[in-house]
Amino acid sequence: MPITRRRRHPAASAAAGAAVLVLTGSCAVLSTSVREDDVPDTVSTALTGEPVTLRLAYTDDPPTQALVDGFTRRHPGVTVELERTQFSDYVKTVKLAMSSDDPPDIAQYNTGAMNSLVPAGLILNLDKHSAAYGWEEAFPSSAMDPLRTDPDAERFGSGSLYAVPGSLSVLGVFYNRDLLAEAGVEEPPRTLGAFEDALEEVHAEGTTPIGNGALEVGGFQIWNALLNVTGDEQDYRDWVYGAPGATIETPAAEEAAATLTRWAERGYLSEGANATSDIDAQADFAAGGSAFLITGNWAAAALAEEMGEDVGFFLMPGPEGPVPVASGSSVSYAVSSQSDHPDAAAAFLDYLGSPEAARIQAESGFMPVDPEAAGGGGGVMGDIDAGFARVIEEEGLVPFPDYAAPGMLDRLTPGVQGLVAGVRTEEEFLGSLQEEWEGEHG
Amino acid sequence: MGDPAVTGARAPGGARRTGRGGRGRGWLFLLPAVAVYLAFTVYPAVSTLQFSFLEWDGVAPPAWAGLDNFARVAAEPMLGRAVLNALVLIVFFTVLPILLGLLMTALLAGGVRRGTAFYRVVFFLPQVLPLVVVGTTWRWMYSDDGMVNQAFALAGLDHLTRAWLGDERFALAALGVVGTWIMSGLCMMLFMSGAQRVDPALHEAAAIDGAGPARRFLSITLPGLRREVSIAGVITTIAALASFDLVFVTTNGGPAGATNVPGLLVYRLAFNEGDIGAAGALAVVLTVLVVVFVGGIRLLAKEDA
Repeated sequence: MPITRRRRHPAASAAAGAAVLVLTGSCAVLSTSVREDDVPDTVSTALTGEPVTLRLAYTDDPPTQALVDGFTRRHPGVTVELERTQFSDYVKTVKLAMSSDDPPDIAQYNTGAMNSLVPAGLILNLDKHSAAYGWEEAFPSSAMDPLRTDPDAERFGSGSLYAVPGSLSVLGVFYNRDLLAEAGVEEPPRTLGAFEDALEEVHAEGTTPIGNGALEVGGFQIWNALLNVTGDEQDYRDWVYGAPGATIETPAAEEAAATLTRWAERGYLSEGANATSDIDAQADFAAGGSAFLITGNWAAAALAEEMGEDVGFFLMPGPEGPVPVASGSSVSYAVSSQSDHPDAAAAFLDYLGSPEAARIQAESGFMPVDPEAAGGGGGVMGDIDAGFARVIEEEGLVPFPDYAAPGMLDRLTPGVQGLVAGVRTEEEFLGSLQEEWEGEHG
Repeated sequence: MGDPAVTGARAPGGARRTGRGGRGRGWLFLLPAVAVYLAFTVYPAVSTLQFSFLEWDGVAPPAWAGLDNFARVAAEPMLGRAVLNALVLIVFFTVLPILLGLLMTALLAGGVRRGTAFYRVVFFLPQVLPLVVVGTTWRWMYSDDGMVNQAFALAGLDHLTRAWLGDERFALAALGVVGTWIMSGLCMMLFMSGAQRVDPALHEAAAIDGAGPARRFLSITLPGLRREVSIAGVITTIAALASFDLVFVTTNGGPAGATNVPGLLVYRLAFNEGDIGAAGALAVVLTVLVVVFVGGIRLLAKEDA
């Protein structure tokens, strides 16, 4: 017995030693990283004219490819190599790519990833470029604000600029003209009350009022759209941007959640919404399966193609009438602080605010950063342009609620599913959102 | 070489040499497999253990967190439900497939019949399909106007139709049925190969003694399958406890968290919230859970022996 023990001992300690070695070894690798300097010493708005190759990591296309083509046509000396990743993998890959030894020069902005990359100093602080180019004038401030943050990326909406928007999106209500006419609803509702009446009339006709994909983001976007027009805009901004002491547990947010619950109880939402994906809900709406669809303008191009003149769009109306506040986001681009060509990368960002880029953005189905460049066409695109122009004019574009914390999406979706299924109260829903918020900003 | 004296004389020393050299050469042959195993299994596992003691977002310099992550994981209100859900999935991923697999084996293994190969392929097919495809297809089949509800309606059971994955009470069971569908074929395959090992003479002898097919299955085939049942139990229990992809593509834990499983929470912590430390801690806890269950199954199988 003692012999066995003695013989076993060295092997065991060797194994333990190896484990310790592995642990300390990788720890050493990890702790060498320090915050990088993200403020450029000098900035220039002129391209040297020498051939430059930029690498750009992105996920949204359109508009990226078309914008890059437009930029390189104007600056033939610049070559842009595109590296595209599927959206579902983008947060992961962009984090790894931007923190690697050889990061891309430009990366499409993503809040979840930037929360880690900005504090590590890996994203270029664009304040100097913004001043040199005059970006404050070129881009709407409600589209720029979400891209500003402090060096620790704890509070957004103010601080230094870390990205520039390349096209915008806006949340609203699509409707099926034929189905509304059948139900006797003559025109798109102009107040929240009229909207709810229209839901009832459509429902009485035996048609599904609102097609919804609560399996993904469609569910909370109803609550989101309601809160935009009933709640205080500044309160909401403070909460999303992480201002100290902000809360989502407000009477307005509770009222918006209660409205959603009421609609679900009355059968205004498509059956099985909790098990329906956004794209399936959209396809069902396009096929005439529901009268309304609450989603972003990103669905417009596909819906216009399938439904032609049958589809229209309005912003969620407020209790007293139209309110120029709506959630939206942008396809934005940030620059690596490790880039060898920060000025060439900034020239691309500057190009995004040009009239030519705005035209490209509008053509690819997005809202251009300059609403005056919008197509001005008819049909659903015309509806969206009209509503969106007012939102931008009044600086009423606010971020989506999942912007508030990296894990917020995982509270919003199940929470709204609980409301729809009637197994969660409004207080529980908002409480879980606030809990997540406190974890990030508290 | 042919001279026995020479061979005999060299035997002791030669044995020692080949013993030593053989061991070295043995490791050489093992090297590719060991390298792959170390790089892709041991290293990530050790890293995960290490991460579970760090406060780290995946990019910035990590800080030592001690046991904080484990304390947070233990206090996580969603975890209890997720573990419970995983245990419920064991019924659907392990218990039912083993019973169904035994039934199919009893039906198919009782001698060569026409069409055995066809049924084997059909039952095994779900194993071959990628889980993402399986999940998406079943999501449509379960939808409120999907095939499952159409079948109910055809049978005049309209009052039973619902969006199965959207209903809080049925979503987990509906997911479980998909698991049963996937795992039964695997169990059958394992049991069929085991049943073929049983000496046909036993069956003949029992038949001569007047035992019917049911008796022969219970008294001869089933005891012979003990090892296969234990292996099937281990594989399917791991699949149940570590399930992720099927849940991720069908319900993503919904509705309202009714189908959350630990694997999904690990994914969210690591990739959505950028909390690598807590994700690592939860993964370690999940691993311990799996080891406990697998150990239990192996122990049961041994005691029976």
